[in-house]
Amino acid sequence: MSRLRSPKRKRSPKRKAARFLQYLALVGYLAFLSFPLLWMLSTSFKTPREVVELHPSLIPRDPTLDNYTTAFTQQHLARAAWNSLQVSVGAAVLTVVIALPAAYALARVRSKVNTVATAWILLSQLFPFILLVIPLFIILKGAGLTNSLFGLVLVYVTWSLPFALWMLQGFVRGIPRELEEAAAMDGASKFQTLVRIVAPLLAPGVVAVTLFAFISSWNEFFFALVLLKRPELATLPLELAKFVGIEGIARLGPLAAGSLMATIPSLIFFAFLQRRLTSGGLAGAVKG
Amino acid sequence: MTTLNEELPLARKKRLDNKYAYFLVLPALAPVLILSVVPLLNGIYLGFTDARAGLNQETNFTGLENYTELLSNDLFWSSFKIGLIWAFSVTILQFLAALGLALLLNLNLRLRWLTRTLALVPWAMPPVIVGIMWQLVYHPDAGLVNEALYRVGLGDLSTNWLGDFSTALPAVIVVGVWAGMPQTTVVLLAGLQGVPAELNEAASVDGAGTWRRFWSITLPQLRPVIVAITSLDFIWNFNSFGLVYVLTTGGPGGKTMLPMLFAYEEAFKYGHFGTAAAMGNAMVLIIVVLLFFYLRRRMREVNA
Amino acid sequence: MKRLTPRRVAAVALAATMAVGSLTACGSGEDSADGPVKLRFLSLAWQEASVAANQKLVNDWNAAHSDIQIEYVQGSWDSVHDQLLTSFEGGDAPDIIHYEAALSGQFAQMNYLADLKDLVPAELKGEIGQNVWDTVTTPEGAVFGVPFLLESQVVIANKTLLDEAGIPVPTTDAPWTWDEFAANAKKLTEGDTFGTAWPLKQPVNRVLNLGLNYDGKYFQNADGKNSVVWGAAEQEVPRRIHDMVYTDKSAAPDALGMGGTDPLPGFFGGKYAMLPGSIYLRQQMVEQAPEGFEWVTLPPLKGLSQNQAANPQTLSISAQSEHQEEAMRFMADFLNPTNQAELAKGDWLIPTGKKAGEELVASTGGKDGWDVAVASANSLVLAPFQTVPEFSEWKSKIATPAFQEYFADTITLDELGKRLVEGGEGIIR
Repeated sequence: MSRLRSPKRKRSPKRKAARFLQYLALVGYLAFLSFPLLWMLSTSFKTPREVVELHPSLIPRDPTLDNYTTAFTQQHLARAAWNSLQVSVGAAVLTVVIALPAAYALARVRSKVNTVATAWILLSQLFPFILLVIPLFIILKGAGLTNSLFGLVLVYVTWSLPFALWMLQGFVRGIPRELEEAAAMDGASKFQTLVRIVAPLLAPGVVAVTLFAFISSWNEFFFALVLLKRPELATLPLELAKFVGIEGIARLGPLAAGSLMATIPSLIFFAFLQRRLTSGGLAGAVKG
Repeated sequence: MTTLNEELPLARKKRLDNKYAYFLVLPALAPVLILSVVPLLNGIYLGFTDARAGLNQETNFTGLENYTELLSNDLFWSSFKIGLIWAFSVTILQFLAALGLALLLNLNLRLRWLTRTLALVPWAMPPVIVGIMWQLVYHPDAGLVNEALYRVGLGDLSTNWLGDFSTALPAVIVVGVWAGMPQTTVVLLAGLQGVPAELNEAASVDGAGTWRRFWSITLPQLRPVIVAITSLDFIWNFNSFGLVYVLTTGGPGGKTMLPMLFAYEEAFKYGHFGTAAAMGNAMVLIIVVLLFFYLRRRMREVNA
Repeated sequence: MKRLTPRRVAAVALAATMAVGSLTACGSGEDSADGPVKLRFLSLAWQEASVAANQKLVNDWNAAHSDIQIEYVQGSWDSVHDQLLTSFEGGDAPDIIHYEAALSGQFAQMNYLADLKDLVPAELKGEIGQNVWDTVTTPEGAVFGVPFLLESQVVIANKTLLDEAGIPVPTTDAPWTWDEFAANAKKLTEGDTFGTAWPLKQPVNRVLNLGLNYDGKYFQNADGKNSVVWGAAEQEVPRRIHDMVYTDKSAAPDALGMGGTDPLPGFFGGKYAMLPGSIYLRQQMVEQAPEGFEWVTLPPLKGLSQNQAANPQTLSISAQSEHQEEAMRFMADFLNPTNQAELAKGDWLIPTGKKAGEELVASTGGKDGWDVAVASANSLVLAPFQTVPEFSEWKSKIATPAFQEYFADTITLDELGKRLVEGGEGIIR
């Protein structure tokens, strides 16, 4: 669909050269950012012997599926993935549901609440999180929220909220007030304005925030470690950490296999959500 | 904070709006109060005590004692300096790289969904493997970097990247940029979507070149988002230590000892909660001062 | 002064949270008044064989003892310290805790661990040597853990390269001295091959352990006050390592920044002929050495003695546990000689029990270096630094960076000593 929008013009050689450079730069970026995926893939098929070779090769010499068998039989990766999925989706949805109205209010309304909220947002990010772990743990334990995935969701929501509010406020501010006023003039109710005009324009921001809340919950390790005592509740990062032993020595093959299995769901989720990063909404809204 | 706006006309309309606002903010308030504000206040308070780990350990209010000790602690100051170098370089490099990438991903290039997804790989990888993987990338004998240098005939340049005194900090900075890029990219990309196409098209018709359009249209439009993400990135980077801890545990010779790593060890290795919290407070204060000038404008917007 | 502990602040917050909690609390599985005693066992086993052995022992116990049920929880070495500290502070620690003496000793100082002195059955006590019990005994005489796995520092060598150079493999009765080790390393250094690699990313424990070879104490206690000492005895081992790198050039300089297993690719690739390291490295040899690669475990090096510091892995009981006696009953069974041998085998470490050691040598026929490994346990002793409460802080704030600088050749031996001693003064109270 994106191709439809690009007008078919005759391209000058200069434009062609620019395009080429753009592709080249993109390939460079992607190589830098995603080579670990290739490395994980390659390592996950290597035997323990090949993993420690002096001159490693990208393509395993005698590929094996052992690492996958080990990863899945020895640790409960499937169960952990299901736990992680529940927690991350729960945290992402809850974060957005809570943050969206609040961010709108904070961006549009001038009051002392703004000052307080801004101060809290910054302070909560400024103060070293690790030092808050113990008091937070005690509160959750008192509330009977240890050993439950819901407790973990609450922690993650609290963690993601400042970022969500901070970012979404920025996005709301980017929407010209005139748009809303124009809609109101046309007789739209406040609610209609929000749903028809504001919501589509905020879509990219919401996607960014959802991605953030999802992935920081998906990858979070420490709270899951101390809050979830029952092994059945363990999330993916906890299970994966079990492949690492004394002095940071890891069982690389199974760890790579397991990590690849943990990475793929996030990537699928990204692939699905990133389409929403293209709103094209503002243009339409102004014309309409 | 300024309360200038309190007595402006239109007060009635405003009050109505405010009620509306409180209502909308309320759901965010409950979890935040209990799970964030309370621990936060507790953490700040601990910085003025001699709290230590231990069963039935008494905690006494000690006022500013922790801070006078910190001021005379050379290790704290050196870690602080390293922390600033780390946070500034990671934030700036990360921002520049992410801006470039976001602009590219915003173009109508082929396979956009794939490239956009692949750009997020560092984000999607479980942190437990990220540290291990980069250690292997920098491995002095079998690492990717040295292997690459060797294959292009620059084998003499190869070194123990994480173990060498002069390369350790730059090496972890590269990892920091790598790990933080997806987030910044996504945010900037989302921001770019908000730049009205009309503005660009109009400028294009007026004959403005790509660079001109970028400087005079895209960048100003993106400004609120840029300020928001870079300030958060800076805070996060300053506060991060997990990755560096895995890669170097602060070595060699303390060259990558970030202040948070220092505070973390103080709290979790030696159980000196009071000292660690005091470091937290001190750093909050310093970052607030640093950010104040950067954020002054945003704050003014908020309160205007 | 008003005291506000994390616990107290939390209590205030509790009132508020209760509302939320009552809505969501869904019986978090606390054990009821009657029914079996439930104990949580946090294990740090991570090798496949060792995890399997642990799980089997726990399952067997659970099947045989319906009144005491053990819940096996697998932790990880990387994060266990933070995990434990948080759960101790939160009053939610596991009942039985697997860790290592140096670090569980820190928890003992914080009163988190139960005194096992009167709980340990005589039989188990007699199995383990006093030298090892010393490492889990506080200055006040409390016993904070049962030691069960020991580790020693040996040298693993590329047998083919030794043979080519005509160097015979030393026996446990006639181990190499440091001089012989240095001389042979020099002999083995040729072309692209270094005689050895010293992976000293974490230099302090390694150096202080081996320092005992020359009776290096590093700490002394005078009138109840600890301080760092830096005499000729203490300088011996660091100087020898330094000389191998910079004078003899028989040890690879790039390897200094490596962790324990980082040199493996180079070792397997013939870049390093000998690799000083922990006895658990044998596991990597068996699993990862290329086909046809011949390796051999050399006994610990000898200075004045072969002494090294014993830092056993331990099982401790949380002071907050309500069922300490039951926990000990499980531990005593878990650590009987046959089981100990099994656990040690799974982790490629040495059992603390004498019988367990004998069983292990018998069952493996002494192959894969098991004879050398078990014999090396005899020279493991309590080192002075192990009784200094501030050791861990001194180690990471002062000693680690200082030793790293010395081994990177940016400071001299005297400067190193000066920093160790003066830094110690600032930290040891």
